[in-house]
Amino acid sequence: MKKREKGKDPQAGVWKQFWKQRYLQIFVLVGIAYVFIFNYIPMVGLIIGFKDYKITSGLEGMFTSTWVGLKNFQEFFTDYKFPELLRNTLVLSILKLIFSFPIPILFAVLLNEVRSKKTKKFIQTVSYLPYFVSWVIVAGLLRIFASDTGIINNILMSMHLIQQPLELLTSPKYFTVIAVLTAIWKDTGWWAIVFLAAITGIDPTLYEAAEMDGASRIKRIRYITIPCISGTVTVVLIMALGNLLGGGLSGSNFEQCYLLGNQGNMAVSDIIQTYVMRIGLSNARYSFATAVGMFQSVISVTLVFISNFISKKVSGNGLF
Amino acid sequence: MENQRKGIKKSKGDKVFDCIVIIVMAIVIFMCLYPFYLAVVMSFNEGLDAQRGGIYLWPRSFTLDNYAKLFKDGAWGTAFAVTLARTLVGTFMTVFFTLFVAYGLSFKELVFRKFYYGVFIFAMYFSGGVIPYYILLRSLHLLNTFWVYVVPGCLSLFYIIVATSFFQDIPKELGESARLDGAGEFTIFSRIILPISKPLMATIAIFTSVGHWNAWYESAFFVSNKSLRTLGYLMIAVINSSKASTAAADASMQAASTTTTLSIQLAAMVIAVFPILCVYPYFQRYFVTGMTVGAVKS
Repeated sequence: MKKREKGKDPQAGVWKQFWKQRYLQIFVLVGIAYVFIFNYIPMVGLIIGFKDYKITSGLEGMFTSTWVGLKNFQEFFTDYKFPELLRNTLVLSILKLIFSFPIPILFAVLLNEVRSKKTKKFIQTVSYLPYFVSWVIVAGLLRIFASDTGIINNILMSMHLIQQPLELLTSPKYFTVIAVLTAIWKDTGWWAIVFLAAITGIDPTLYEAAEMDGASRIKRIRYITIPCISGTVTVVLIMALGNLLGGGLSGSNFEQCYLLGNQGNMAVSDIIQTYVMRIGLSNARYSFATAVGMFQSVISVTLVFISNFISKKVSGNGLF
Repeated sequence: MENQRKGIKKSKGDKVFDCIVIIVMAIVIFMCLYPFYLAVVMSFNEGLDAQRGGIYLWPRSFTLDNYAKLFKDGAWGTAFAVTLARTLVGTFMTVFFTLFVAYGLSFKELVFRKFYYGVFIFAMYFSGGVIPYYILLRSLHLLNTFWVYVVPGCLSLFYIIVATSFFQDIPKELGESARLDGAGEFTIFSRIILPISKPLMATIAIFTSVGHWNAWYESAFFVSNKSLRTLGYLMIAVINSSKASTAAADASMQAASTTTTLSIQLAAMVIAVFPILCVYPYFQRYFVTGMTVGAVKS
């Protein structure tokens, strides 16, 4: 830095230094070239949402195809599917956030109260096993648990609570419940890691002092643990809100709806993301599908900024 | 007296609390393990018999037919090979490429460093969505090739950030003396930096390989060549058995056997989950640190 300031022409100094470190620059520039191709070209490609793109025109066609303005968006907003897709996306996302967000916190707090370190570690290891298997496996496991002859129906039938097996996997009545429950099952242990790490970082003298004052364990949790991890909770909540429409923390909406959705429950399992895939890749309406996808992205980005703004006002914590 | 009563009361409340904790933890363990256990049990049971229900703890009519069928079926064999190949190749590429870029980025005196950083961070948060991405892959002639599995994901932006800060903590003198001896940057990177980055490499490798092993998305949307199907995709095909052609062929074959598409799928699931089950507890310390580092950084 100092050398550069001494030089007569700072511009020349920069390039001189650039040349001196050219090999290191190559390390990074290879990566920059890569993200340019695989991340930035698709971003620029979003313009086909405002165009009439034909797949035969290839990559250049993104730029050469004719502009149609907001036609694709208008078409989507007036589509008979639009209210249903929006409702399904919102209902699933919001329910997943409400029910699956607090559970890892609760679990981490309770797990922290397990006295034996070995047991604690064992439970934690077991609890995030579901995170490491794919949604395909979850869908497969659901077949043995929730199908007509599955365990849940078997038990309910043998207890004479139902006469006919419940159509858990194919009826629109149960899809959302199953989606929320499987999301909880799969992600609780994983997200508890973050919260447990935050709890472990709390100054132990706080607890000792509280114990001396005769505070019960519930009181210690209420007045020490919870306030001390609220910063972490806020950050994770902003992240979850930012990906609300994608399915919260782990963004599992698409996988759930694609893998657990079927003709039977389509009325509730068809969301914007599955619609984009179907209409774009299967029906080859590329411009229209891009516009639909963009609609969701715009809402998501807005949500990130709103939640970040609110959280900064309320608690002083924010991502940016 | 009062003090004593208070003491007893407190410990009583705590005892109740302890019980609640134990019960909750027992439920969690059961919920996390039993589904996998049952899948294993059912995979060793005759498929038609399992359809009757009522199997909870061990196989009712034990058989190895499901596994035998699975191993004999060419489609499953190919899928195993493809999945294994993409896991190995993809993981190697991601670990190497990500660390390669991060190494360059870790030099504080690098010209345009802030700009590069911005380019990576922006790409991490914004994307063009799946359709422009599909058009790109099509133009690059990656669709319907093995490379669509490994090339598009081979630079992990998140781990670039993590690795850059990791490299910055390595004492600069390590590379400096080699540089004076005339070693090139790539030699320093591969001979000095990589060997001391093993924990970081393990973290990236474990996440990437699990991701590759589980992946089904590319196989479902970017590949139509049957010999390139992955394990995950094939399991979906069985789930949607009414649509899948392989399942229809399966059904006619099954007339004289006791297996069902579900029982064969369960065998495949057990084999698909088994490597993950074996690997993930050992790498715990790596990914817990990796994750907390990532959380702090972001």
